[in-house]
Amino acid sequence: MRRAILLLLAIVVILVLALLVVALRSPPVILLLLGWLLLTTLQNSTPLVLTALGGMFSERSGVVNIGLEGIMLMGAFSAVATSWFTNDPWLGVLAGVLSGGLLAGVHAIVCVRLKGNQIVSGTGVILFASGFTTLMLWVIWGTKGTSDSVARVPDLYFPGLEQIPIIGGIARLSPIVYLMFVIVVVSWYVLYHTSFGLRLRAAGEDPSTLDSAGVSVDKMRFAGVIISGLLGGLGGAYLSIGFESQFGKLMTNGRGFIALAALIFGNWTPLGCLIAGVLFGFLTGFQYLVQIMTGIDPGFAWLGDYSYFIQMIPYVLVVVALAGIRRSIPPKAVGTAYEKEATA
Amino acid sequence: MKVKRTTDERTLTSQSDATVSEDLGVQRKGLPAEMRMSLVNLGNSMFTWAFWKPLMWALVCIIISIIIGAVIMMYSGYDPLSAYYWLMYGALTQPDRVIFYGTPLILTSLSVALSFKCGLFNIGPEGQLFMGSMAAALVGYLVALPIIIHPIVCLAAGAIAGGLWAFLPGLLKAYRGAHEVVTTMMLSYVAILFTSWLSSYPFKEPGWVSKTPLIDPTAILPHLFGPYMHAGFIVALLAVFGVYILFKRTVLGYEMRAVGFNRDAAETAGINPRKNMALALGLSGGLAGLSGAGEILGYHYRFVANWSAGYGWDGITAAVLGRNNPWGCLLAAIFLGALRAGGNSMSIMAQVPAEMIGVVQGLIVLFVAAPRLIDWLANSGVSYAIWLKKSPKNAIPWLTAAGYGIVGAFYAIGYSVISISIFPLSMMFLLTSIAGLLSFAMTFSRYQTSFAGHFFYVGCWLTAGILVLAYTGSMALALSSLAMCAIGVVVWLLVIALAPKGAGIRGCRP
Repeated sequence: MRRAILLLLAIVVILVLALLVVALRSPPVILLLLGWLLLTTLQNSTPLVLTALGGMFSERSGVVNIGLEGIMLMGAFSAVATSWFTNDPWLGVLAGVLSGGLLAGVHAIVCVRLKGNQIVSGTGVILFASGFTTLMLWVIWGTKGTSDSVARVPDLYFPGLEQIPIIGGIARLSPIVYLMFVIVVVSWYVLYHTSFGLRLRAAGEDPSTLDSAGVSVDKMRFAGVIISGLLGGLGGAYLSIGFESQFGKLMTNGRGFIALAALIFGNWTPLGCLIAGVLFGFLTGFQYLVQIMTGIDPGFAWLGDYSYFIQMIPYVLVVVALAGIRRSIPPKAVGTAYEKEATA
Repeated sequence: MKVKRTTDERTLTSQSDATVSEDLGVQRKGLPAEMRMSLVNLGNSMFTWAFWKPLMWALVCIIISIIIGAVIMMYSGYDPLSAYYWLMYGALTQPDRVIFYGTPLILTSLSVALSFKCGLFNIGPEGQLFMGSMAAALVGYLVALPIIIHPIVCLAAGAIAGGLWAFLPGLLKAYRGAHEVVTTMMLSYVAILFTSWLSSYPFKEPGWVSKTPLIDPTAILPHLFGPYMHAGFIVALLAVFGVYILFKRTVLGYEMRAVGFNRDAAETAGINPRKNMALALGLSGGLAGLSGAGEILGYHYRFVANWSAGYGWDGITAAVLGRNNPWGCLLAAIFLGALRAGGNSMSIMAQVPAEMIGVVQGLIVLFVAAPRLIDWLANSGVSYAIWLKKSPKNAIPWLTAAGYGIVGAFYAIGYSVISISIFPLSMMFLLTSIAGLLSFAMTFSRYQTSFAGHFFYVGCWLTAGILVLAYTGSMALALSSLAMCAIGVVVWLLVIALAPKGAGIRGCRP
């Protein structure tokens, strides 16, 4: 685990150094670029961290939730639709969170109440969400591409911050980004310092012990899955009305799966999710940076032919990261339905 | 501990080692005797519930999903009856198109099913399909070969490319423990980008669209029937048979199933799980690659960037619906092909977007994932039938109460759609219909608290009736809502009078 993080940090440092060396050709640009990189890293990592935290609650309670991609999509769509109808972005965020929770509730009923196959159910959630959101895109806006622009969550603006060189890049930032850091701390506290967190973890590690202590495993798992839906929905809502201001067909583009990878890479802990999420967010930001460089710097024009490879960077590095982890310890009972022993 | 298993797995566990070696012994004796045996087995199993149950399950799931799909359509302002009419019409009148859409799905669903049998979940057949189709297109136009040999070489190239693309996550899973769901998905995105690059730069045909040049005429798979269906279907059928043989009659297939069933037990029994897992994912990717190659050689004749319309994802649906059985996958894939063919005519004739099909598919997968729902319906149905026969006086009120719940729920949804312009009223009716479904579920499974559920539902109708009067003053709608409320009260009075707490059902368990 530690070696893997060092490996990835090394990759990141090399990427940044390479960038610096090239950018030195025009020194004033460098600070601007670094500030922009900081901003875009935070922006791209927010949905990943939120969704990974959601996945953590679900998997810690013993339910695999590969439907996170679909939950994000649903959250992103409901946020935009509500913001479009009511013109209130915060109501949109609320709708995104709730719709994510609702879809996760379906997953919970199938997995926990009906003891269904968790992976198949998650796939069903993804299929349903991608079909449903594309259908509704057509029903509401009459388009199969992107929706109309809607009111987005206003950014928080710190006027003084702009004067500071690199940090000035994040003078304007969506409040949901700050909220994300709060949620990381809160989930750390809930998971490790409350009896609810202890029970949740027990449901994923050793459900029969929890059961014999008189706590309902099913209730804990329901709670875990629904929290994952709420957080995944928030991640999706941030994507559509915190970061952009519209919904595009299948706009999550694999972020739900990257969040799952971040969760595994972060070893199922809140802090790990934060680090891994920021790392993967940085890679996405780096990919945008390289694309911009090819546009503005003639020295990089040759990279234009390889833009497809640049787009691959986050996906490839996720695979490398997963392969690089030596030991990752998932919750012991994750993925299996818990059945009470029959009382004869 | 009660664990639900598919029929195959049950036979796998019930077979002791001795019978397994007997099985392998049969294989050496030669085909005719064995074929006779399997025919006899098939004939016997045709008349058992175990043979029909998966089919029934699938059918019930499909029907429930179609009903929910109809509700979603009604809310979106479409006419579900005309949509489903044109869906059926399109599916039944164009068999060549059904088979054409079904062919790649057969192969991708086999791909998913094969990995599932080994306990892995290959969620990225889409990427393997892209790699396979690219390889086939390249071999198709870069290499000159005689007729008949050329398509075979192309198909092989496609299978190898797809196989290698999945073998990599297989190795990572086996030796590094990397979660295959994430890695196959990520590599799927990489494959789509990579093939887009190949068709936009090195092998691009001049022009606006990113596509490779046409393949040689020698590499084309012949058409069989109609303007769409091509020989790729035969390849797919052979693959179905091949996978069936692999799992029923070969050591490799047996080992893969053993690893999928219990990895530790398999390892103890001397089976190398790592090798089998990597091989299973590799083979799985090969099938997905074959699927892409067949489409290129039989229909597109060149690689066009992003040509696949979600064949990989639909393959997952088909595999789940077919319960990972090769023949089940065949049926399910053709069913999904029919949905696609029908979806085309539905979107043209009834103006319902073809994405509706995706919604229905997602619902089908969700329902298939929860076999207990269907079990519960079937078991309760049987026990109600027995109860009805034994003491109709007690059973009829309960069944009426349950039926009142579900029929009223449909009414409420209808009213909710009618009153969509008055938002609070529409939401009230939606709440009523949800309460109706809950009341049905509680009464049908004879919960202790079904009284509360029923009266919450009756109260919903009452509130809805009052709201109708307040918002619209439409007497007809208000009176029918209040009538529903009154019927609910009467039904429950009957229940209390004739069958308190479901008297007499205890002895009717199937």
